[in-house]
Amino acid sequence: MSDKIKILYVDDEPDNLVGFKASLRLDYHILTAINIPQAMSCLDNHPDIKVIFCDQRMPGITGVEFFEDIRVSYPLPVRILLTAYTDVESIINAINKGNIFRYVRKPWAEADIVSAIDEANKFYMANSMLAIKNDELQKAYDELNKFAYSVSHDIRGPLSGILGAINIAREIDDVEEMREMLYLMEKSLKKLDTYIISMHDYYSLQRGELKIIDIDFSKLLDELKPIYSVMSKTNNVEFNIHVNQHEVFRSDEVPLKLIFNNLLSNAFKYQDKKRSNRSVEVTVEVQKSMATILIKDTGIGILGSHIGEIFNLFYRANSQEVGSGFGLYNVKSALLKLNGQIEVNSVMHQGTNFKVTIPSI
Amino acid sequence: MELSFIVIDDSELDCFIARKIIEHTDTNLHVQTFQNAQLALETIRKNAVVDNHVTTIVLLDLQMPLMNGFEFVEEFEKLPIEVRKRYVVVVLSSTRNNKDIFRILTYHTVYSRLDKPLTREKLLSLMLEAQLR
Repeated sequence: MSDKIKILYVDDEPDNLVGFKASLRLDYHILTAINIPQAMSCLDNHPDIKVIFCDQRMPGITGVEFFEDIRVSYPLPVRILLTAYTDVESIINAINKGNIFRYVRKPWAEADIVSAIDEANKFYMANSMLAIKNDELQKAYDELNKFAYSVSHDIRGPLSGILGAINIAREIDDVEEMREMLYLMEKSLKKLDTYIISMHDYYSLQRGELKIIDIDFSKLLDELKPIYSVMSKTNNVEFNIHVNQHEVFRSDEVPLKLIFNNLLSNAFKYQDKKRSNRSVEVTVEVQKSMATILIKDTGIGILGSHIGEIFNLFYRANSQEVGSGFGLYNVKSALLKLNGQIEVNSVMHQGTNFKVTIPSI
Repeated sequence: MELSFIVIDDSELDCFIARKIIEHTDTNLHVQTFQNAQLALETIRKNAVVDNHVTTIVLLDLQMPLMNGFEFVEEFEKLPIEVRKRYVVVVLSSTRNNKDIFRILTYHTVYSRLDKPLTREKLLSLMLEAQLR
């Protein structure tokens, strides 16, 4: 595919179409249409048309009318009118209504057309950038709203709990009771801390460029292993890692670690306490520039009706109070950055398998 | 009049605090705590047939996983009036979101709303109101 600017020219005179195409086709991708139906099918088949030139005088319809008709259904292409007539009124009117970007007098000089295309292209680019920025801004606003909403629950919640605990501490004489309360206070503070760390992860994921380096999965997992070995021992959960990598894999270490950390901590956190043979298993297989990561646990599982929602911000599928609703959302954001995919398979009371595939960059 | 309590909150600490404050206020008060609203609802349904004159104050958190405070109230309102009238539902939350606060107060089974943390003063005035109701 060429990167040439795609232009549609609509005129009822075949000679004009041929002439236009002949003089401009080296620098631009020119499409021509001899009537309105042809022009419409061109617009349908080429959503990436950036500029439309249209003759003013055509049988049955004027260029101004045509532009007015397509303005709503094809808002993106920049519309330029070609006219030999000095229909000053209708042109002024059309420009004022915003139906056309500018007009070029017929017979046209190539320099006029080229400068019109140049200006139109700048206008088109500015508009599409604006649309992209607007989408990003809307997304940022939506997430800000979710944050504002979560602040009272996830930050104020644990704090008010601790404040409440301090209030009743004055009336507690029993040491055992006090110990129990301190333990719960600690848990609450840890939860708040986790929330803040996850929020930090969230922001570093949203901003920041990728830092691509050679990834050695065995080494990466060796770095993470000590944390989970402690969990494995204290909670009596078997922990196994298998790495099969015989080729270079390039990616960013930070989002990769985040993915492993979130999936692994979930795998340990949501173990089935009643069950005897508990385990967490990690398999990494690198082949043909693609890393396939499997994380299997023998946990409580995720209800089928919740699976569609677990990657949403602040969603929690479990009533145990450990989750912040950030983890899997961050995993998904990290995968988006690395161009990766994730699949979940879960059976209640049997366990959950996450399969992550990431291409080498 | 005899009073008892049901506390519904996904936070273990908040359940603990509510229980301690209630028990320290009056050792005769009966308190049940639930970290899952669904289980609280089942208990209320199961006790529907019990014919006694105890009024139960339900301290209800709003934001909870699986079944939140709103969903709990929706289900609670489906219970027969003879059951409902034995309960006083009071929302106890840390939310600053006015939309949520107004919305929960539009349910007529929701009696009032308290800001966390629960304190002895808040509890005493609540008990007084519930008895005068």
